[in-house]
Amino acid sequence: MGSAAGQMIGSMSETGSKETLLNAAVLHWMHDLAAQGIVTTDSELNIIEWNHWMEAHTGKRAPEVMGKNLLEVFPELRERRLDRNYKWALEGQVRVLSQALHGYLIAMSPVSGEHGYPQMQQAVRISPLSHDERIIGTLTIIEDVTERVAREAELQAQIEERSRLLSSEKLARSEAERANRLKDEFLATISHELRNPLNAILGWAHMMRLGKLTPANAERAVETIYRNAKSQAQLVADLLDVSRIISGKLRLDVRPVDLINIVNAAIDSIRPAVDAKGIRLQKLLDSAAGPISGDADRLQQIVWNLLTNAVKFTPKGGRIQVKVQRVDSHVEVVVSDSGVGISKEFLPYVFDRFRQADASTTRIHGGLGLGLSIVHQLVDLHGGSVSVQSEGEGKGATFTITLPFVGVISATPDAESDLVAKSDNVISLDGLPSLKGLKVLVVDDDADTRELIGEVLRECGSEVITSPSAAEALVALEQHKPDILISDLGMPDEDGYSLISQIRALPSERGGQIPAAALTAYARAEDRMRVLRSGFQFHLPKPVDSAELVTVVASLAGRAYESNHIEHKKNS
Amino acid sequence: MKLNERQRDALSELINIAFARTGAALSELTGHRVLLEPPEVAVYRTAELRPALAKFVPGDVASIHQVFAGPIAGDALLLLNYAGAVQLTDLLTDGHQPSNFLDESAREVLTEVGNILLNACLGMFGNLLNVHVTFSVPRLHLETLDDLIESTTTEKTEMHYALVVYTAFQIRDSSVKGFLVIVLSVASLDRLIQEVDAWEAQQGR
Repeated sequence: MGSAAGQMIGSMSETGSKETLLNAAVLHWMHDLAAQGIVTTDSELNIIEWNHWMEAHTGKRAPEVMGKNLLEVFPELRERRLDRNYKWALEGQVRVLSQALHGYLIAMSPVSGEHGYPQMQQAVRISPLSHDERIIGTLTIIEDVTERVAREAELQAQIEERSRLLSSEKLARSEAERANRLKDEFLATISHELRNPLNAILGWAHMMRLGKLTPANAERAVETIYRNAKSQAQLVADLLDVSRIISGKLRLDVRPVDLINIVNAAIDSIRPAVDAKGIRLQKLLDSAAGPISGDADRLQQIVWNLLTNAVKFTPKGGRIQVKVQRVDSHVEVVVSDSGVGISKEFLPYVFDRFRQADASTTRIHGGLGLGLSIVHQLVDLHGGSVSVQSEGEGKGATFTITLPFVGVISATPDAESDLVAKSDNVISLDGLPSLKGLKVLVVDDDADTRELIGEVLRECGSEVITSPSAAEALVALEQHKPDILISDLGMPDEDGYSLISQIRALPSERGGQIPAAALTAYARAEDRMRVLRSGFQFHLPKPVDSAELVTVVASLAGRAYESNHIEHKKNS
Repeated sequence: MKLNERQRDALSELINIAFARTGAALSELTGHRVLLEPPEVAVYRTAELRPALAKFVPGDVASIHQVFAGPIAGDALLLLNYAGAVQLTDLLTDGHQPSNFLDESAREVLTEVGNILLNACLGMFGNLLNVHVTFSVPRLHLETLDDLIESTTTEKTEMHYALVVYTAFQIRDSSVKGFLVIVLSVASLDRLIQEVDAWEAQQGR
């Protein structure tokens, strides 16, 4: 101890005065230096000590409060029922007053206003002061915890935010996992559905290659291959429709159309299946129903989907009824069947994508579960509605489509507005325009497609040159001087867009003006636009329909399309 | 030292009075109805305390500890398991989101709650024995059960017993169980039991 004061205390001879000195020092410390509020009272709760900290924070100077009763100086202690703590302290109990449950004991302004508390937040201890086992007063210690409480609240908010983020991330993850699972299930279904027709196609094609089929069997093979390829094409068309609907890219070509014609065409196209199953099909078509405003192709797709659905789920010898009627300002198309019906549980999900009542792998009925979803979306796009009723399993089902009726004023029948009901039947190449004398250059990296297109065109009398790439096509163009170009768009190295832009850059004597059509599997509206802008005159979606191909080539060559030559083999 | 059935019943009844006061005080303080389940009382030697409590409070414990002195002297503790301590403060302070740790403010709330409960019980004993008991300032400890028991029973040469009172706080459809442990010397416990007997006899008349 080096200080003079230290030496002085150390040299004191009387222990008593040393103690007195220390007590005085402690009191001095408590009064002037303590960083807490310290208040002592006697057993009557009269204030005996009021330290500097209390003066500084309450604004009440010690001389103002000394000797006065604590509960009189601060009457709110009684109002807030905190006076009890002093009563208990005088009974010998130590009391703890937490900030969380009380806020504060004596109202004081916070040191800084930045934490937003109107009062300084306090943690308080109230203890009895005793001497010789007798309680002679109370001691109150007040601590300013405003800063601490504010930091804790910040920390708590951060933790809550983090746990909120964590749970929303968890939610997003489980949502993504669900979507992923649905996608997996869908992929499994789609693989299954695409493989089924493929088995038939591959099997029969293999037998044909072996060349051991009788003529009758060969015809059957071709028929089977054709039917299965058609069914695959339908699956792909459905998928493309769904993707267009989802991405909002499906555009309706709205014109006045006659619903009766459309329904008749749809019925005709499913007639073979109806006959094969011995189903009785009843038509109740009210001629006062038409015309309505809509997209003829899409409306036919709607009716066709409902009819194929009815045929699929109606057993042999069953009954299907198709009704078209005018009800007030709308037209109703009702398709009802005596088929397997729909359970009450599944009814709400009938129009959901990829939903089938029986999703098991051993299910009897195939399909992607897209048909009714497409119907729903297409009817929506037409401003109509579709509903379903079924009394339950085994009790048949009734689908009702309601479309707004539009009074169409159409003086002269517009050729385009007349519904051309596309039939599902074979269109004979015989009736198509002759391509005799035409030289067509076919460019496709896929040999089978090249062969197929070449064969169809040759059948109609044209000369065909084929090229597997854009580079070879440019050579063939100069060499053979073809009249027409048919080119695939998606090819390795150089695509169809590149080819046509190079051709269009050539002078006309070198083929720069050759009429051209593009072939593509991407049948979206923006693809069509891009095709036409890049220099093609036509866009032919894959799979290519032979009749359409020939018609397009004829049209590109400026030859008249003799529509009366189209022969609906099975329909006539 | 064992309590007979009558002594146990009488002690439970007395402690239940203190619990009712505690419940009322906490209800008033928090604005929620707080009840303490009727106590279940047992006496253990301090050496038996660890296995007896370990079953109920595995892992870390939160304890509010007050030393009391006077004609009867010892340690009084409120014991909660850590999760229970967090839950109890959340329930008492309307925590919007369940927290999973005890910050300083939460510890203070627990200290206040423990203080109220211990004061009620020891105050009741003091009244019963007609003696004046003084208390230390309550302290909150977070430690393992072993460390806790160690801290209450070291430096005590005399044989000690522990009065263990099981209860549960019931607040807003939730229940948080806890233990009140009062460690007493043989002499103090003897005196307490005598007074309980006397009180019981008085009640019976």
